[in-house]
Formats: sequence, C-alpha cells, structure tokens
Amino acid sequence: MKKRIKKLNLSRRNFLTGTATLAGVAATASFVPITIAKANHSEGKKGLPDFISWKDRDALIVHSDKGIETHRSAIGESLITPNRNIYIRNNMPTMTDEQIGNRMDWKVSIEGVKNPKTFTLAQLQKLGHETMATILQCSGNGRGFFKHKPRGSQWKTGAAACVLWTGVPMKTVVEACGGINGDTVFMTSAGIDHQPTGLDPKKAMIERSVPKKVFKDAMLAWEMNGVPLPNAHGGPLRMVTPGYFGINNVKHLGKVAFTTKESSVKYMKSSYRISPIGKKGSQYPSCWEMPVKSWVTRPTDETGTVKAGKVQIVGVAMGGTKKVRSVKVSVDGGKSWKKAKFIGPNLGKYAWRQFVLETTLSAGTYNIASLASNGSDKQPELRMENRRGYAHNGWKDHSVNITVV
Amino acid sequence: MKILKFLLIVFFISLSGNFESFSDEAMMKKGLEIFNETAACAACHVLKAAGSEGNIGPNLDTVTMTVESVKEMVTYGLGVMPAFGEGEILTKEEIEIVSQYVVNVANK
Repeated sequence: MKKRIKKLNLSRRNFLTGTATLAGVAATASFVPITIAKANHSEGKKGLPDFISWKDRDALIVHSDKGIETHRSAIGESLITPNRNIYIRNNMPTMTDEQIGNRMDWKVSIEGVKNPKTFTLAQLQKLGHETMATILQCSGNGRGFFKHKPRGSQWKTGAAACVLWTGVPMKTVVEACGGINGDTVFMTSAGIDHQPTGLDPKKAMIERSVPKKVFKDAMLAWEMNGVPLPNAHGGPLRMVTPGYFGINNVKHLGKVAFTTKESSVKYMKSSYRISPIGKKGSQYPSCWEMPVKSWVTRPTDETGTVKAGKVQIVGVAMGGTKKVRSVKVSVDGGKSWKKAKFIGPNLGKYAWRQFVLETTLSAGTYNIASLASNGSDKQPELRMENRRGYAHNGWKDHSVNITVV
Repeated sequence: MKILKFLLIVFFISLSGNFESFSDEAMMKKGLEIFNETAACAACHVLKAAGSEGNIGPNLDTVTMTVESVKEMVTYGLGVMPAFGEGEILTKEEIEIVSQYVVNVANK
C-alpha cells in the first residue's frame, strides 16, 4: 500500500493541558506547529536511542526507547551494576545538555523548612559530601510475569541495579535550612524534566511524596558509580530515597519541599498505586517501600546449557528497607532449599548482597529458585496480583529453568 | 467451458481482492487521520510512517506491540498518556482503527 504521509500541524500543549475535547483538538489542529520536544532518538549505531548510545547494547533488552531492561545475566557480578548496563525507565524525555545548561548552576529549592533556600549544584557540593549504595528498582520490575498482562514494559528481573551515589545527605541540607517545619508529614520532590515539553505540570510533572522520615537517609546525588550523573539517569542532580521504588528517586531535581499533604499531580495521586485488578484510585497504597526480593543471575536460561558437575549458583538479594539476613536456594522448584552464602562487601542495608551456592548437578533439567529474608519478612511463593503489575517479589515466577548436560 | 469457469473464478477472486485492499487502504487512511489529527498521537510519539516526531511517549517504531496491547493502552492511557477510551476522546471504532494502523505501519 502506498504510504500517505500527512504533515503534522497541531498543538500537543493544548491537547494535553486538560480539558481537550475532540472539537477542541480539531479547533487547534491547523495552525500551531510543534517546535519543542522533538525526538532526540534516531537510534544510535548500536540500535539504542541516541541519548543512551554509550550503553552496552548486548547487556540490554529494548522494550522501547524509554523502557530498556538489563539482561538477567548482565546485572553485574561485582555487586555494583555498571552504568553501561543499567536499565532506563523515563516518564519524561531525558533533558539535553542544552536544556540543562551549566551543570554547576543547576538550582534546587528547599521549602517547608525554617529558612527556605535555593542552592546551586556548586553550593551543594560545598555543603557536604557522602557516598552510599542503594538499589534502584522500577516499581514494575517483574511485571512481565503477571498473567493478566498489565500495561507498560514487560520487565522480568532487569529493571533494577545496585548503584553507588555521591552527593550531599538531605539531612545536611535540612540543617543548613534551619530544620523542617513542625507540621509537615511528607518529603515531596519535584523534577523539572516536564518543563521543556510544555505539558500541564499537573499531568506531566514527576513530583513524588514519601513519608518525611525518609529524609534522614536520603541524598541529593550528582555522581553515579564514579561519574557525573548522566542526563539519562536524571543528571545533574537527583533525589535518592533509599529502600524506595525508583519513581521516588526523582530525576532532574528542581525542588524538595516538606509538606503537610501528598502531591496532587497525576504521578502521585493516581499513577503508581497498587490496586486490585480492575480497580484504581488514590485510596490504594503508593509504590513506596520495596519488599524483600532476590533472583538468580547465573546460570540462567540466557547463559546456555551447564556442564554437569560442580556448579556455582549466583544471584542478588535485597532486604527492602531492612538489611537482608539470609537467602536459600532450591534446584528442584522449591521442594527443598539450601542456605546460600553471602559474598563480596556489605555496602549497607540499602544495597543488595551477592549470594552463591556451590552444588553438584548431574545431567537433567532444573528449576532454580532463591528465597530471601530480612528477618521479619521473606519472599512469598506467589506474586501479589495487582492491576498494574507492581512490586512483584514472589520467588516462583523469578525462578529459572536450566539444562545440565 | 472449463476455461470459462476458470476465468469466472479468477474474475471473482480478483474482485474480492480489490475490495479487500480498498477496505484496508481506507482503514489505513482513517488510522493515519486519527493518529495525526483526531487523537494527536503524533504530538507525543515517533512513527516514521505517519511522519511524526513527538518525543514524550515511546518511539512506536521501537516498541514491541500487538493490536490488543495498543487498544488497551489507547483506551486506558498510562502516565501522562490520556485515556482516550475512558475519557471518551475516541470511539471504540476509532480506537480499533488507530490501533490496527499503528501496528501495521510501525517500523516501516
């Protein structure tokens, strides 16, 4: 069929700023050209969008140009996930160098404190300095296992990474502002990556509220795994909320406010709510604290057949907001379990631990599962069914089948 | 006689084929119109076949999708993407047509 390409000539801004009706769209459709937020992703040489052409294509599964997953076997076997392997999940287009300008002049305002202030990145870097490891995990990591096929990227295990952040502790920033106002309940962080799009902030701004207590361990980070925070991961400044799902780690950070109420933007009020299948609404819990979770990273179905004999079963385990205490591994689909050994450095309760179980396997097929505990909670066998496929930590779906020859 | 019968069959097959391609073409044209104008999908998505360069949502030439998954997404929305069905911006028929269109032309 011959392609018929019509010239686009309409207003996205009017359409998405609220009450657009069909007639409204038609009325604006003929005279307002789009001049902003055009695609910056013509696909790099390696088949990745231009803005992340520096990533390792072989380590990644491309669901879309804004949803890119790390292969189960490419999560990194040295505790920290290399930047080139880390997943991408962006609700807004990544800001460009031109939009960001001089990185040292990037501004973040602090409100809901005794003395509200605006800091540049240069000023923050003089205020304090700390490094910590946390797990960055998309709320929908594991969505690909849900049988009702929720909308969104079908992540299996790879929308997660263990990252070393360097920045200034939020606690230090709060002290520099004279302390938090007494009647506040939430720490609300807002990004400014919606601004270049011209979209209605109520619908497009990534503003996330978390319980106020999170500030004690939170960080305003400008470096990620030893390099300046890449734009694609929210550079030059990002909120890091340890133990909380990725969406709360707001990118391109422009404001942190201590507030009495949760933000009323769509990304807080209605998106990222864990509701039963067929139901939705702000009355359901937000994607906040991550649950205890683990998965095997080697051997997997991605790494081919395994030679019979001694086998090292390797994986990662996280405790959520608590320290992970133990991991058990099963090679028979959960009928029997053996305690695995933690290896590598312990980078604190918000980082994951690597584990290994050395075992001997003869020829055959095996279902390998891991089950982590943080002392008070352990992974359930099954997923918690929910509408959007969030917060999956059931061990059964995360198991892998391998063939030993 | 056999030749005449054969020619008649060929004629009718060819007629039905023409009808089908006419119908497909009309649907694709309507799908393009919905994509670029009625629903303004083009404002937020790249789709080479439609000449669109929006960079808010995913590049549709890179997404793995089915007609069903697109219909679901268009009907209920996701994040900043409006719920075109729930919001009664598009009719069910329009959602069906634009979803068929997108899946048919993506990455072409």
